[in-house]
Amino acid sequence: MKSIGRETVKVLSLKRTYLGWAVLTLVPIIMVLALDLSTNKPPPGEGPPFFSNIVNNGVFVPLAAIAALSAFLLPLAAAMSGGYSIAGEAEMGTMKTWLVRPVSRGAVLLSKWFVAVAYVFVAMAIVGVVGLLAGWAVFGMHPLVTLSGATVSVPHGLWLIALTYLLIFMEMMVIVSFAVLISALTDSSLASAVGSLVIMLIMAALIAFSYFSFLKPYLFVSRTEAWMSFFRTPIHWTPIRDAVITYAIYIVALVGAAWFFFRRKDILS
Amino acid sequence: MSSDEATTSPGPAPETGEGRGEQAGACSPRPVVLSTHSLTKDFNGMRAVDSLDLEVCKGDVFGFLGPNGAGKTTTLRMILGLIYPTSGYSQILDHRVPGDRLQALKHVGGFVEVPAFYPTLSARRNLRLLGSISGDGGEPRIDEVLGTVGLYERADSKVKGYSHGMKQRLGIAAALLHKPELVILDEPTSGLDPQGMKDVRELIRELGRGGTTVFLSSHLLHEIEQICNRAVIIDRGKVVVQGPVSVLRPKQMGVKILTNDQSKAVAVLGATLGSQAVVMDEEYLVATADGDAVPALVRELVDAGLDVRAVLPAVEQGLEDFFLELTTSSDRDSGGGSSKRGGLLGRLRR
Repeated sequence: MKSIGRETVKVLSLKRTYLGWAVLTLVPIIMVLALDLSTNKPPPGEGPPFFSNIVNNGVFVPLAAIAALSAFLLPLAAAMSGGYSIAGEAEMGTMKTWLVRPVSRGAVLLSKWFVAVAYVFVAMAIVGVVGLLAGWAVFGMHPLVTLSGATVSVPHGLWLIALTYLLIFMEMMVIVSFAVLISALTDSSLASAVGSLVIMLIMAALIAFSYFSFLKPYLFVSRTEAWMSFFRTPIHWTPIRDAVITYAIYIVALVGAAWFFFRRKDILS
Repeated sequence: MSSDEATTSPGPAPETGEGRGEQAGACSPRPVVLSTHSLTKDFNGMRAVDSLDLEVCKGDVFGFLGPNGAGKTTTLRMILGLIYPTSGYSQILDHRVPGDRLQALKHVGGFVEVPAFYPTLSARRNLRLLGSISGDGGEPRIDEVLGTVGLYERADSKVKGYSHGMKQRLGIAAALLHKPELVILDEPTSGLDPQGMKDVRELIRELGRGGTTVFLSSHLLHEIEQICNRAVIIDRGKVVVQGPVSVLRPKQMGVKILTNDQSKAVAVLGATLGSQAVVMDEEYLVATADGDAVPALVRELVDAGLDVRAVLPAVEQGLEDFFLELTTSSDRDSGGGSSKRGGLLGRLRR
């Protein structure tokens, strides 16, 4: 779609785009270097069995990197990417330049959402590839031991990691969608980014209390650890399916709401 | 390439507006390009635009005049589909806004407030992006509009380094890019230096001569007078007057006269023109008289033994006063005020 191409040109013209990707790229590299240089690494077979894999198996680096990033830095990137989408234009005053041309507001909104999501996708792909290469170079590639104690081949392990990335990517899409909705409502990219992170953190705080456990199935953050089911043998599909359904509902509802507001919005900036 | 021929030249400014659109209100036989129908907008309970009815004919350079805060930009935003009217609608050719916004906007180019572009992209890339919407993003056309507004040399530098005036010019270039039938410009000369203002005004005149309809918002009366053939004055969201600009210009011209004895001069001219037509404005005597009558007045003063030190046209003052009268006086509808103003209002009221 042409509209997506135009939004891509805009995002790629910004320095912050590359800065964000660069910061995320550093994480797996730092991780590998720290583990390799660390003098008191746990000998193989000690420590938590699953995660101790990382010190001697390069295949695990992309997984460890994304697990570390998905706690905060990746949601931050998603929130900023989504928050900037509409509010960034409002802040520059370019939304009016754009919308006095015959473009449908729905197409503008959806292509902005798409590009914001694609930004996160590219960021995760970079992290995965860089992590894998760095891990391979330093630790080599070995079959992995799953949470259930079974050993799986390198190609199968990489496949499980790819699925994990996809599930976490869906979770990030939810955060992008929150940010795009707030972005369409507020005209402030900072408020949108912070707002969507705050929503995520409040949800995470709620599920920590057993009093609010009845809310748990409805909050997307309660699905954060669903990816671990990929590393059971055999795979536990139920939590994964539930996570996918939850994320999908959130994404459709949030983007739908953003579309509804943006379609009738008075563009004053 | 085509930048030279397209660059605006501050040549002799022809009198646009004369002999066009003399019939007040009705466009016929010319088609109506833009009209608003009881266009109304409320913001937080405040009525910003109040049942506005406008009619802009094909080929008009139409002045949209009003003091700051009169609702000009809000009206432009509604016409361009950026905000939704509380009631009423606008129509561009056969297409209603907001109902048929996408079709309507194909025929319009323009901007509201200060034109804004992607700061990290060059002027050329900004125009390419905008041009790709209407499919008129061809490089020759981009070169042409960049030349027209005098930005050809700087077209490849990033917009964030542009001065206010350059952004203003780029806004005009973007408005012209797809050769729209209607160009809507919101205070296009604001923030420009005198040469820039002159260039932009000349450009707008040229557009009008080329058959493009221009809807020009401004709070500068003399600007509207210079380049428009028809105009509307709005205040507090309502139309005050609408009609050909030639009617806005008072037929009775004023002159400012400075002599060595002003009180004697007032007496001399008061006897000739009537005491109402002669008033003092600071050290100047202001006489209301046709331009043709000025030599006779001067002769009369000299014959009375006075030294005439200066004779200046007082048109500006008359028009600015008139504008202020229209837009600020709370009891302007009461028919009060001087006979001259009452006469003007009477002539302008439809």
